[in-house]
Amino acid sequence: MSTYEEEHNTSGNSNSRRDLRAQIRNLYQEDGSSTALLQLLAQLIPESMQEELLNEKEEGCPETFIDSLPRVNKCDLKGADACSICCCGYLDDTHPLVVKLPHCSHRFDLECVAVWLSKSRTCPLCRDDVLSHKPKVDISNVELEEDWGMYG
Amino acid sequence: MASLPKRIIKETERLVSDPVPGITAQPHEDNLRYFQVTIEGPQQSPYESGVFQLELFLPDDYPMEAPKVRFLTKIYHPNIDRLGRICLDVLKTNWSPALQIRTVLLSVQALLASPNPNDPLANDVAEDWIRNEDAAIAKAREWTQLYAK
Repeated sequence: MSTYEEEHNTSGNSNSRRDLRAQIRNLYQEDGSSTALLQLLAQLIPESMQEELLNEKEEGCPETFIDSLPRVNKCDLKGADACSICCCGYLDDTHPLVVKLPHCSHRFDLECVAVWLSKSRTCPLCRDDVLSHKPKVDISNVELEEDWGMYG
Repeated sequence: MASLPKRIIKETERLVSDPVPGITAQPHEDNLRYFQVTIEGPQQSPYESGVFQLELFLPDDYPMEAPKVRFLTKIYHPNIDRLGRICLDVLKTNWSPALQIRTVLLSVQALLASPNPNDPLANDVAEDWIRNEDAAIAKAREWTQLYAK
């Protein structure tokens, strides 16, 4: 009977994946920002997404980052709240699409801030580097999830 | 010409209804992206009692791109060159789309109050300023009397 990897034409067997995970774990503990770590991680990521992650432009945020900004609910917007980029009230629009930036939580129209973040990584209001706050990764449970590679 | 963004209309209205002390900005009637600006020299600076003419232009990409600002009045200042170009971080690398015409002009006014010869645009002026600050300030005062009346 053929294995999952053979059927799905994925590279490597479960041993090499285990090695890869071990390497990633070691690298992460040594240096969370290592390029080598990124390259190893990229092997677990579909090819179509690799380019964006590895050849990230110096200025600007990746599109995936901008698309994943958390939305602000319409009911959390007050009448006087306005986007500081277009200077228009959020509620002037019947369907406002407002997002908040990670960490500083400053709010903007998605349409406005997306243009800015495509060429800058700073919050327009406080100049916080929006990409510098890495999500905290809890690696204590990684060992338990031996089958995670299956979903790659 | 494309229609004027709402933000520019709002900024222009506020510049007229709630002007910044010591600063005027009037849009040109033929081009609402082009402003004639005056800035009064700050008190206790070598530019005191001078009124300086500037031009300000909002590029098509504004507010994603900074306004273009230039002194038209001749001025002796280490961060302003003989063409009136200004060396100011918020006009270049530190621009943010949350800044506005009024905040930019306030920064220019603040630059008149505190010249920074260590980050020069006009190298000869900055050298004078570092070598003999008293003489440079006297010259800045003299130019203010001569050209900024």
